[in-house]
Parts: sequence; C-alpha cells; structure tokens
Amino acid sequence: MKRRFIGASAFALAVALGAQAAQADVTLLFWPGPESDAMQAVIDAFNEGPGQELGFEVDQLLFSRQGFFDKELSDLAAGSTEFDLALVTTYTLGRYAPFLEPLDQYLDPGVADHFAPVALDSLSADGSIYGIPTDISVHFAFYRTDLIDELMNNPDWQARYSEIAAEHLGAARDPVDPGDWTWDDYIATALFFTQSINPDAPTQFGSALQLQNLIFNIMIWQSTLVSNGGNWMDADGTITIDSDAARRGLEIYQTIIDAGATPPGSLSYEFAEANAAFGTGRAATTLQWNAAFNIVNDPDEYPETGGLVGIAPMPAGPEGHRTHSHSLGIGMNAASENKDQAGQFLNYLASIEAQEIYAAAGGTPAVPSILEGMSDQRPEFPLIGQFAADYGFVINGGTAAYAVPVYEVLAQEFSGYWSGQTDIDTALSQAASGMAEAMAQ
Amino acid sequence: MSRKRDPGPIGWTWRWLLFVVAALILNLPVVFTVFTSFKTNADINASPPVWLFAPTLQHYAEVLTTPTLNFPRYLMNSFVLAAAGTAIALVLAVPAAYAIVRMKFGGGTIVPIVLMLRTLPLVIFAIPFYFMFQWLGLLDTRLGLSIIAAIINLPFALLFAIAMVRDLPYEIEEAARVDGAGIGMLLWRIVIPLGRPMLISIAILSFIYAWNEFLFGLILTTRSATPVTVGATLFATSFGIRWGPTSAAMVLSLLPPMLVGLVCFRYLTRALTAGAIKG
Amino acid sequence: MHRRREAWWLIAPLAIFMVVWLGFPFLSNLYYSLSDVTFETLSSPTLTGFGNFADAAGSAAFWQSLWFSLRFAVIATTAQIIIALTLAIALRPLLERYRFLLAVLILPLMISPALMGIMYKLMLNEFVGVVPQYLALFGLYPNLLGPDWVVTVVIAIEVLQWTPFALLLLLTALQAIPEELLDAAYVDGAKPRDQVRRIVLPLMGPAIAITAFIRFIDSFRVFDHIYVLTGGGPGTLTTSSSIFIYRAFFQQGRLGFAIASSLILMAFSLLLLWATMRYVLKGART
Repeated sequence: MKRRFIGASAFALAVALGAQAAQADVTLLFWPGPESDAMQAVIDAFNEGPGQELGFEVDQLLFSRQGFFDKELSDLAAGSTEFDLALVTTYTLGRYAPFLEPLDQYLDPGVADHFAPVALDSLSADGSIYGIPTDISVHFAFYRTDLIDELMNNPDWQARYSEIAAEHLGAARDPVDPGDWTWDDYIATALFFTQSINPDAPTQFGSALQLQNLIFNIMIWQSTLVSNGGNWMDADGTITIDSDAARRGLEIYQTIIDAGATPPGSLSYEFAEANAAFGTGRAATTLQWNAAFNIVNDPDEYPETGGLVGIAPMPAGPEGHRTHSHSLGIGMNAASENKDQAGQFLNYLASIEAQEIYAAAGGTPAVPSILEGMSDQRPEFPLIGQFAADYGFVINGGTAAYAVPVYEVLAQEFSGYWSGQTDIDTALSQAASGMAEAMAQ
Repeated sequence: MSRKRDPGPIGWTWRWLLFVVAALILNLPVVFTVFTSFKTNADINASPPVWLFAPTLQHYAEVLTTPTLNFPRYLMNSFVLAAAGTAIALVLAVPAAYAIVRMKFGGGTIVPIVLMLRTLPLVIFAIPFYFMFQWLGLLDTRLGLSIIAAIINLPFALLFAIAMVRDLPYEIEEAARVDGAGIGMLLWRIVIPLGRPMLISIAILSFIYAWNEFLFGLILTTRSATPVTVGATLFATSFGIRWGPTSAAMVLSLLPPMLVGLVCFRYLTRALTAGAIKG
Repeated sequence: MHRRREAWWLIAPLAIFMVVWLGFPFLSNLYYSLSDVTFETLSSPTLTGFGNFADAAGSAAFWQSLWFSLRFAVIATTAQIIIALTLAIALRPLLERYRFLLAVLILPLMISPALMGIMYKLMLNEFVGVVPQYLALFGLYPNLLGPDWVVTVVIAIEVLQWTPFALLLLLTALQAIPEELLDAAYVDGAKPRDQVRRIVLPLMGPAIAITAFIRFIDSFRVFDHIYVLTGGGPGTLTTSSSIFIYRAFFQQGRLGFAIASSLILMAFSLLLLWATMRYVLKGART
C-alpha cells in the first residue's frame, strides 16, 4: 500500500515534470502594467485584422517587473529565442543594442514619421533605430488645485508665505502660479505647506521627494541638474557631474529634506510611495512621472485627491524648465527566428491606427497628433507632448551602454548624501570617479 | 506524555498567552497580507490604515482570471519543483549521511564542499546555469528548476541527515547487520523509519525553501515553468505595486505549503508523541 | 574493505550529482573570475589574470558590504536562536497537545522573502502602513527606513520570518530528549530552571549548533527582502554582500568582478566552515 503510494507519487511527479505551455508565431516580451494591457489591445486588433491576411499571430509574454531588466538582459545576451520582440527603453538601449536587430531594413519608408522626434532619437543608436516608440515619459510638478487656488487668493496665506520665504530662503517672495515656478518658488511652496514650519498648513508636508537608492529617482532629480546648466558630461564626453550645477541640484533637494518638508520616509520612496504620500493628502506637491496623474487623480484610488490634481512643468532654473524624457519602445531580438513576421508586426505597431488603439487602451504614445486629440479623456496628454517638445532632454550619455551603471553610481552616491551618510563634496567626487569607472567598463 | 509534568492551570494559562502573543507577532505580515487581499483599492490606500472594511473578492477573481497569466499553472509548477527538489535532495543526502556518520567516510571532504554551496551568492550561478540549461534543453522546464531546488536544499538536507543518523541507536543497526541485512535494507527498514520525525522536518523545510526560491525562478523560466513566487510579482507593474492582487496571489501561494505542512505534521507529531524514538 | 565499497555506493549518487550539475558552473565561474567579461562577451571572455580579485580585494565598498552581512548574520542568528529556544521549551506541552498550533507558528516561513519584502513596503509605509500606526499608539514616530532605524528593521524582518525555522528544529530536538531524564530530575526536585540548564541545554547543544550554523549561513547571504525594501540603501547602509555582488553583476555588468568577489567570500566561508565544522559534526563520532 505504502509502496504503491510512493510509486504513484513518483510517477505523477515524473509526468508533471515534463509539462509545457503552447506559444504563438511571434512573441512580444513586455512587463505587466497599463502599457502591456494597452499592447494587448493592439495585438488583439492585429490578430483579428492584418494578422489574418499575413497569416500569423502575435502573443505577449510578460516578465515580472521585479528584476525585469536583469531577466531580459540574461535572455538577450544568451541568445534566447523565446521571444522575437522585446521592450526597449532609452536608458537600457545602449546596453541591449548588441543583442538587438536594427529596424531600418524592416520598416516601410515613412512609417515612423508621425512620432515625436525626441522619442525616435531616444530609441536610436549609431544612426539606426532600435525600437518603435510606444510610450513617452516626462516629469511634472504635481500640486493640489484646491490648495494652490487658496494660496493665490488668500492674503493671509500670502503674507505667511512671504515670511517663510524671507526666513528660509533669504528674501521675501510672493506665491506664483505653478506654471511659472522656479526652484526657489517650489522650495518656498513646499515649506509653506509643511506643518512643522507653518502650523496652519492644511497638509503635513509640502513635498514628497523620491530618494531611494534607485536609478529612476535620479532621472527625476536630473531636472534640477540640467535646468541649472549641468549635465553628466559635456559634448566631448568629459565627465562634468562634479559641478556647481549638480551642487545646486543636490542642495535644492537637501533644503527640502532638512526643512522637514518631505516625509522622513522619503529616503525609501519611489513612484508608488510618492503617490501614496500625495494621494492620501499628506503632501501638497510632488515631483513625479506623468503616469502618476491618472492614479492620484482617480477618486477610486485616492478619494482625497481625485479630481483635485494640477500639473505644471518641472520648476525652472537659469536654463528654464527642463524635464528628463525617455521612451519605451518595442525592439527586435537579434536571435529571433521569425524576423520577417516580427518586422511586419512592427510596421503595424508604428501605424497611426495601432497607436490610436494603444492610446485608447491606456498607453501614452509618442505621437503628438494623438496626444493632442485625446485631451477630453486624458487631460494630461497635450501637456506631455508639449513639455517633451519644449523642455524635454535626454542626458548626455543617457542612451549609451554605460547609462544604467552610471545611474546606479549616482543613485548610490546621492542617496548617501541625502540620508546624511556622506557630505556633498564626497558624494560629488565619488560620483565622478564612479562614473569614470562605469564608463571604462 | 508524562502526567507528572503537567504544568497545571497557571502553567497552561501563561503558555497560551505566550503562544498567542508569539503567533500574532510572528504572523503579523501574514495576517496583514490576508486582510489586504480582501480590501478595495481605496481601503488599501486609506491613511491611517483601516481594520474594519467591507471585504471584496475582486482581487482573487483578477488573479485567477487574468488571461495573460496562468496562476493555477504557477502554483502547480511550484508544487512540482518543490516536491521533486525535496525528493532529490533527500534521496541523495540520506545514504551519503549514513556513510559519513557510520562508516566515517568522506565527511571531511564532501561536507565542506556541499556546505560551501550555501554560502555563495546564488546570482553568480545564474549565467552558467543558463548556458548549461540552454544546451540541455532544460530552460523553462520544471525538471530544470527541480534540479536547482535540489541543489539549493542539499547542504541543509545533508547537514540534518547527518544529525539524524548520528542520533539513531546504533545497536539496532548492528543487530540487523548481524542478521545479514544488506545496506539498502538497513536504510529502508531501520534508518528511515526510525529517523522519520527528523526526515519529515527536513522535508517540510526543504519544501518551503524550494517553494520560496525567486532568483532562478525568474532567470531560468519564461512561461512554462514559472513558479508562483515569480508569478505573484507579475502584479508589481511599472505603475507601482498593485497591492490587492499581489496580496491575493500571496495568500493563494501560501495555501499549498500550508497543506503540506498540516499533512506532514500529523505524522511528525504522532511519531514524536508515540515516544521512544531513541533511548 | 567490503564496508568501504558500500560507503562508496552510498556517497556516489551525491558525488555524481554534484559533479554533473556543479562542475560546469564552477569551472566557468573560475574562468570568468580571471577574465574581462561583460554580458556582450559572455561566450568570448578574455583571460586577464587576477585583476578582478585585486579590484575586489581593494574595493572598500566590498569590505563594507561584508561587514554589514557579518553584523546582520550574527545579530539575527542570536536573536532567532534565543527566541526559538525559549518558545520551544516554554510551549512544548502546548504544542504536543494541540499539534496544529505548531503549523500556525511556522506559517511565516511559507511566504517567499522576496514577496515578504514587497508586503513590508506597504506595512512600513508611514501613511498607509500598519506598523507606524501601531507605533504611533505608543507615541513612537520612528522613520523606520531612515538611516537610524533601517538596519534594525531589516534585521527584525529576518528574525520574524525565520525564527519559526529554528523553532521547528529545536522543538524536534527537544522532543528527542528522553522523558525519563527529565522525569528523574523532576522527582529529584530540580526546579524547571535547573532542568533546562543542566539537562536540556547540554543535550541540545549539537542541535542548537547546527540550527545556528544554518541560520547564520542563510542570514549572511541575505538578499531578497532587503533588496526589495531598500535597494541596499539609504546610500549603502543596508548593502549586504549578496546585494553588492548582485548589483555588480547585473546593473554594472561587471561579471568577472562580481564572481571574484564571491570567490573571496567563499574563501572566508571555508575558513568559517573549517573552524566550526568540528563542533557542528561532533556527534558524528559517537
């Protein structure tokens, strides 16, 4: 009896060990989230329409967002044939390019002309295009419309605002419209809405910065660097991170941190935590990705702020408003065994028709005409297009193979400074030497 | 059990108290996860957090029905790889432990080598295993992951198998030897039955270790063999972690090892309370 | 001679398994550690000698991460053993009478540390998390993931999750102590405290040693929950050696360096194993 049980278990295990799942003709690798939900709508439309005529189907493969890039890199570098098309991003492009197929020969002439040039550039390397853009990302200064309206109209608040600015920033100033914020205006607003500084403030904190040791948080911070005239490196490739502009950028953050105007937990914040701080009504403003708008402005997700969220360009420095801009796109695995079919799908994906489906299903396509046209459903869309065109930058070296390692170095050094582990001089000089090391690899 | 050592009413009371406190503190994350899985998104995002709310099954429905995922399959994958990984590790470790303890053979070399495995950061094996599995056709297979699970469990299984054999009464084995039992018979008829409580403990813990493995589940699978640990993170999106479905997925992933634990505990505690496993 | 051949047969499956599955990974890692290799040159690394080892040995960040792991493992292991031993001795009668209670206590083991880390992100959130909410009841408002508390918090998470592991093993060992010994002591009028000190602890020595040993090794290698929760930060405050190596490997693409660092780590572990093995395996000769 017992022996038979063990035998049967062993047999069942042996059968179970061999099970396999089915897969379609062309496989597209993406990550879970609104982007892949939107992509599924495009794929469904393709499989029901053009795919029928062309005689093949596309399906989507999702890898966990936790460790996505590590997994994707392993697969591409080892020549996996599990997927033919894969997500590429501005910041990973240089690293993945050796394992990707340049798309130029697969694309019909003119098929990509309607994309924003900044998006196409950010997915190109060495004169070749490696990805059809799907989503464009920029940063906004998020604020509460109810609170800013009150500030702009209430003389008592304005007087207090002026006092706080005089005390903490050295000169009295008046509140200005968020669209015209400079960094000093932003700091003053953040301090004004912080209860420890202004006991009458309606929110506990004036800002919610994302300070975790994470590459995406450096992308947000970079607006302070570039709007103050700085960059990773100059046009010749000389590293310029240890500069006055970077110092000013770090200090803008540090002023807000030291004043207690961002929650103490900010040191471990990323995208979602900043949304929680802002969306629960604890912070009056935040510097955040455009993707957050639809979340914090949704009353079902955040009843406190739903319908009350305003967006402005990132605050201005001497160089004006600047925002980091990057794109997601779909590239082709160089090891793919179905390149022609994969190329045919990319031509479809690049079409206005497909991009419209993508936008309607929740994506943020890098096509200005579509972004303009959807302003009723997605109020932030026209601003994304406008800000990307007017203020968008790709940091020097931001598409190179060393982009991610450099972001890593900066994330580690700067989060070390913000958490008080190192001083600003050490952080900047170590950032510079770390960058040099990462670029030498 | 010995009646002489019955703790008495006071003894029982404080023991219950201690148990409840320990269970609550140790299980706080689990309880919290269960609660979260039944909350609506607005309740999850409520500040301060709420403990009373109208429960919803929406997250469970989503986890089990999202077409791009195959959650039952992930559960099955994890179950198979954990069971097979545990079985392989035990089959290899128990005989070796017997040789090491009773025959004083190989202990000095093989034990440190196997234990060393456990001290290395696993990530450095990711690429070599990837290439090897690619070559052998084991990528994205349950068999491949079972082998990984066995490798992960071997150091632990070997160490405890050694402890188990060491604690067995030698006289019974000697007697069996004198009666002419072969080495296989000795293991099957004497070592395994007598060591059962320890074997079951090792098996439960190996199963759990294998069940919890993440890194190789991520790197070495694509769609067929994805384990539930990786599957549950598919609700961590580029727009942040979707707590509702993630916690529902975690609760679902908790059930199989819990079941295994409960089933095994019956044998474990029965064997123990029957007493006399050693003298 | 006959016994020797039998011993071979018993060891052989394990030995063959190890050679088959770990031979190639180990040799290729050895080669990588001596080479200039990135993801682009996985199949064509250039042999460069011991440069990676020199880089690793000269990297302050590497030693810093090693120091963190060591502190983390020592504190976490000590706490786990003390708590688990206390619970095992105190709750034994209860857990023997009501078997399923043990299952309740080992529940935390059944959630993957990677997923646990994700859940703690929510639990520790200062606005929507329960832990700050409870602490606030006591008038405490610590910044749990800030520089002052983060190390304590990641250690506490490790202890909460893995104490049940130690509990299960120590309870098993405790139950293997012959009742007669305890009963005899009881009849002799020994107080429970003396019973524990004079009989239980000495008899459980080897079990405690093995459990502590396993927990130490695992805690030393800690990766998942810290990586998910803090990414090794703020700065490098919670960067364990596994996190350091993982980052060098994937994010920086310095494969040779990452592997060389691991091998240095392995050399240290070997020393440790060699030093403690004697005690851990003591009973093997009885």
